[in-house]
Amino acid sequence: MTDALSHTTAHGAEPNESVVHRIGEGLQRSMPVILTTAGLLLVWQVGVTVFNVPTFMAPSPTAIAVALYENAGTLWRNVQPTMLEAALGFVFGNLFAILLAVWFVHSPMAERAVYPLAVFVKAIPIIALAPIPVLIFGNGLTPKIIIVALICFFPTLVNMVQGLKSASPAMLDLMRVLSASPNEVLWKVRIPASLPFLFAALRIAATSCVMGAIVVEWIGSTYGPGALIIDATFNFRSALLYATVVIAALLAVLLFSLVSLAESRIVRWKPAASE
Amino acid sequence: MLATLEQKPEVAVNQPAISVRNVSVRFGEGKGEVTALSDVSLDIPEGGFVTMLGPSGCGKSTLLRAIADLVPTSGGSISVLGRSPRQAREGRDFAFVFRDATLLPRRSVIDNVRLPIEVGKKAGATFDDPHKLLAMVGLSGRENALPHELSGGMRQRVAIARALVTRPRILLMDEPFGALDEITRDKLNEELLRIWQETGTTIVFVTHSIPEAAFLGQHVLMLKAHPGRVKEFMKVDFPSGRSLAIRDTVEFITVTARLRSMLEECL
Repeated sequence: MTDALSHTTAHGAEPNESVVHRIGEGLQRSMPVILTTAGLLLVWQVGVTVFNVPTFMAPSPTAIAVALYENAGTLWRNVQPTMLEAALGFVFGNLFAILLAVWFVHSPMAERAVYPLAVFVKAIPIIALAPIPVLIFGNGLTPKIIIVALICFFPTLVNMVQGLKSASPAMLDLMRVLSASPNEVLWKVRIPASLPFLFAALRIAATSCVMGAIVVEWIGSTYGPGALIIDATFNFRSALLYATVVIAALLAVLLFSLVSLAESRIVRWKPAASE
Repeated sequence: MLATLEQKPEVAVNQPAISVRNVSVRFGEGKGEVTALSDVSLDIPEGGFVTMLGPSGCGKSTLLRAIADLVPTSGGSISVLGRSPRQAREGRDFAFVFRDATLLPRRSVIDNVRLPIEVGKKAGATFDDPHKLLAMVGLSGRENALPHELSGGMRQRVAIARALVTRPRILLMDEPFGALDEITRDKLNEELLRIWQETGTTIVFVTHSIPEAAFLGQHVLMLKAHPGRVKEFMKVDFPSGRSLAIRDTVEFITVTARLRSMLEECL
């Protein structure tokens, strides 16, 4: 009573790997990128030393490491509000985008009325937009959260609309035959189908939201990596400037990793190729 | 048969399960208008197994979808167990099996079979046991498998079990085995006949395959294309019964040859 293919589809047991073994494997996989990075740092260090480049133009990697160590307290104090801005902006921007996408899928009229506006807002360069909330809300957290939310909003809206519409027509026919309510169709068919699209957008948002926070800090802030970058540049503290760049990048990588971790937990199943 | 009639006593015994009267279906507007079905009338007997055959574009799937309230009709009337297609759909009188298994990819096999119990209007509805149905389609022991772990044939078996869970009196099938290899398709054809005999469900089955139409159908409904209309409603009788072996007999080949020549006339 089984099909010809059933033997090949038997569910194999997961091999019970030890943690040490898995870390070793991870290291092995990352070896090329570790070696490339080490090589680039070495070239940089040697170049700066051999050509006697002044530190204010380009500090050596070791000088940056020293700056990171010496300014650890300052950097940590300054990165905390940025983390909060980025995280809150990320949550609000994406939540709003998801809700709007759900509305669009249920109301084609809403989509026609609002989608073009969203595209227009996206078309305004964020640098040009950033001073406006600063003028309205001052130097506090609010303008940063607004700009970060705006940056996260658009890619998520576009992807989520596409994701919700990616449910197969046959699946939607099935739900109609079952007289399922729009709510049931949304939760059982459309949202699961949209998750890969959503996470693709969230990964973009995770890195760009840090950028957004820093841009607003340039314009109006006395704290944060943005303010630190401006300060370090005008005072020729190049090593600190580079150290701040490293910290900002690490923050973006951290958010990116969190999103990837969430994705691997939530989007666990493999969609069947033929569905 | 008797058991299912007792459940829904409002329908008289001799009434056809599905009655289609002068139905036409048109898509599009103005110059782009396409007539998919034109003046189609037919009756599908209660408890019967009718296969629908015809050239591409003859509207077989459209007719099935109109019966299932998935496509609006432009004229004529359709009655499903004495009710409109919409009422029949809401009353879960029929189930639909698609060409794709249309399983939810993150749900296990048993949870996919349970889907019709979870969604839609439920007042007074009775359901069959999902485990029993999985056994009926030969998938006992695979309850917790995920769809991507199954072969195409097994996925289609899950879809059939899911269709039967609402105890439908009519099963509408739109090329359900069209994407499967021939060996799997033969096996499923045989099992579908057994399920039909066990449940007494009326089955309307759209197919591209002449042998499949002849093997399964007590009646073959032949449609003509451009626009789609009825060419013939042919009774198919095999006195020696239906097992895969009859497909090499003269009586079977006589039927398929006749269907083939009819199909050629439709072109």
